Amino acid sequence: MSPLFISDAELDRLRRSAAEPDLAGSRYELRGQLGRGGMATVYRAWDAVLDREVALKVLDLPEADPALAARLLREARVLAQLEHPGIVPVHDAGELPDGRAYCAMKRVEGSRLDDAARELTRTERLRLFLRICDAVAFAHSRGILHRDLKPENVMVGSFGEVLVLDWGLARIVADLPAPVPGNARDELEERNERELTRHGAVLGTPAYMPPEQSSGVVSAVDQRSDVFALGGILQFLLTDAPPSAGAEVRIDGSKALAAACSKARALSPDERYPSARELAGDIERFLDGRPLTAYRESLFERGARLFERYQTATLLVLAYLFVRTLLLLFARQ
Amino acid sequence: MAHSPTAIDPVPRPQGFPLTRISLLGALEEADPARSRNAWDELLRAYWQPIRRYICRRWHESPEAAEDLTQSFLARAIERQTFAAFDPRQARFRTFLRLCLDRDLANVREAAARQKRGGGETHLTLDAPAIASHPVLRTAIDDDPEELFHREWLRAIFETAMERLRASASLSGREVRFALFERYELGRSSTGGPGERPTYDELALEFAIPRTQVTNHLAWARQELRRLVLEELRRHTASPAEFRDEARRALGVEVT
Amino acid sequence: MNKAWMGLVLGGILGIFDGLTAWFTPAVRPFIVGIVIGSTFKGLIAGVLTGWFARRVNSLAWGLAFGLGIGLLLAYLVAAMPSATGEHYYWQIMLPGAIVGLIVGYATQRFGQQSADRSSRQPA
Repeated sequence: MSPLFISDAELDRLRRSAAEPDLAGSRYELRGQLGRGGMATVYRAWDAVLDREVALKVLDLPEADPALAARLLREARVLAQLEHPGIVPVHDAGELPDGRAYCAMKRVEGSRLDDAARELTRTERLRLFLRICDAVAFAHSRGILHRDLKPENVMVGSFGEVLVLDWGLARIVADLPAPVPGNARDELEERNERELTRHGAVLGTPAYMPPEQSSGVVSAVDQRSDVFALGGILQFLLTDAPPSAGAEVRIDGSKALAAACSKARALSPDERYPSARELAGDIERFLDGRPLTAYRESLFERGARLFERYQTATLLVLAYLFVRTLLLLFARQ
Repeated sequence: MAHSPTAIDPVPRPQGFPLTRISLLGALEEADPARSRNAWDELLRAYWQPIRRYICRRWHESPEAAEDLTQSFLARAIERQTFAAFDPRQARFRTFLRLCLDRDLANVREAAARQKRGGGETHLTLDAPAIASHPVLRTAIDDDPEELFHREWLRAIFETAMERLRASASLSGREVRFALFERYELGRSSTGGPGERPTYDELALEFAIPRTQVTNHLAWARQELRRLVLEELRRHTASPAEFRDEARRALGVEVT
Repeated sequence: MNKAWMGLVLGGILGIFDGLTAWFTPAVRPFIVGIVIGSTFKGLIAGVLTGWFARRVNSLAWGLAFGLGIGLLLAYLVAAMPSATGEHYYWQIMLPGAIVGLIVGYATQRFGQQSADRSSRQPA
């Protein structure tokens, strides 16, 4: 038997093949890879039962830490509680024949926020941001904190729709309806929390993580922690750079938006916006040309804002007065 | 030299904890000739092909010349105990080996050039610059020696894993599993020729088995290949951290 | 306030204001009352029509165009009537009338409530 020689192309194919999950016997057929996270790979797969394409998030290897499998299934359960147009819906979850945990979600056509934002104007970016706030506020209303909000975890669809992804670090802070009742939920949540932090690692992404989360005090994390991360996303959208801790926020051309970012990213939770909705409210006010709660403007700034808000009307009135004056002067001559 | 490439036997390895690079390197300097010899065999098996192919691609040598240069490099390494200087805290063994190889080949080339200027003969091809500037013969990867050597090393790992997969299928009397996998993943027909990647249905027809069996055979082969590749990687890395890193690079997966 | 009412009110106010500016022209000052009443009436008609249009068509560009058109048309009808001295003041009436039409067109598109029972439509 001749020894095998593997060409470059064959090597690449084998590398992909060896890493691929085994879907034999499952309802899914692999169609390609969509992306990779820290613990899992997201594949494009075909759901043969419902005849539709799905995003299949599969843990890396059966040999991997069993806590990760629990985390993925937990993410699926959290997502199942959140039916909102801004939150990616989960279709199915379980274990593949090769022992890997998986979670089937809606296949989102689009790009990550950090990529999508490049081609957008400031106003379009702020409108996207409002949709992110809306999804997060909805999760908060259901008692769920995301805890890992960042541009990489937000997908922007081809029609401008926004989907918040990766709820693997989410924390349930309030009682939810079925399937997890009362005390059992508390126990489950405690166990999940222990599993999530078992290795002593602080979970989340440093640039977007509030101090109370990075210090590891789980009980101190509340919806204002997500507000901090949203402030980071807002800053990223306005500056095209990830936020840096403690640094003064500077945004070209708008002290009001810089103040909103600073308030959202205040080190003390008490100084932040109390909720994602409040933060969104200030951004809406900015877009409408109204004053922000986070910023006390000077008389000159107020005048400039009002002029900007009613620019066309002001110009039309000025045009009328100008024409009237000209006609009067002409008549007197 | 006794350590010829023909001594490398790509059959299934004995079970048990694999000999890591570190323990292997220690064994190279063993007083016991049998143990030292085994260690050298192991090292040659792992690195002979990557070195030879690296010389072909990076140094633009013919396969025959590359084989001679591989042989002479390893002979000099044994003679000068080059690998005794390896410190795992400073670099991967693969990187260390590649740097030794590049230095050695540069010396050989310089000596050959001197000899040529002095009228002597050499088997080295000295038209490397012409080859290097040839757009078809060069690839992007050739610009990065570390990447190139890693790729050759990885190719050797996968070739060994595939040989072991073939042997494993053969031992269990299920040669069809390997043939199917080879046909599907490498696009090779039973006669060894290259071809397009077939669909599951085409495979079922070609091998006269149900489609579900095609899926099952491929799933088994993928799982087995992954296990064997990880086993080879574990064998050829010096620490758990390096193993994790290599697994991530090779398969894009996190392992513990 | 819905758009039609808003157009009516704004048109009326601007009509009064537009009429009062005649006071600065000594030649027509004796007729100021008639001018203000006529201008107000013109403003009310322009306002209600523009507001009605804004309820049906949600487009700033079309709103401005409609306001301009109505303003010009009504101002032309007024200007076409000779004054007591027999003169016509086309420029003096049509130019400001056009701008007033634009202002009402803009305001009715940007402000005021769309009627609840009608969805906004774009002209074909």
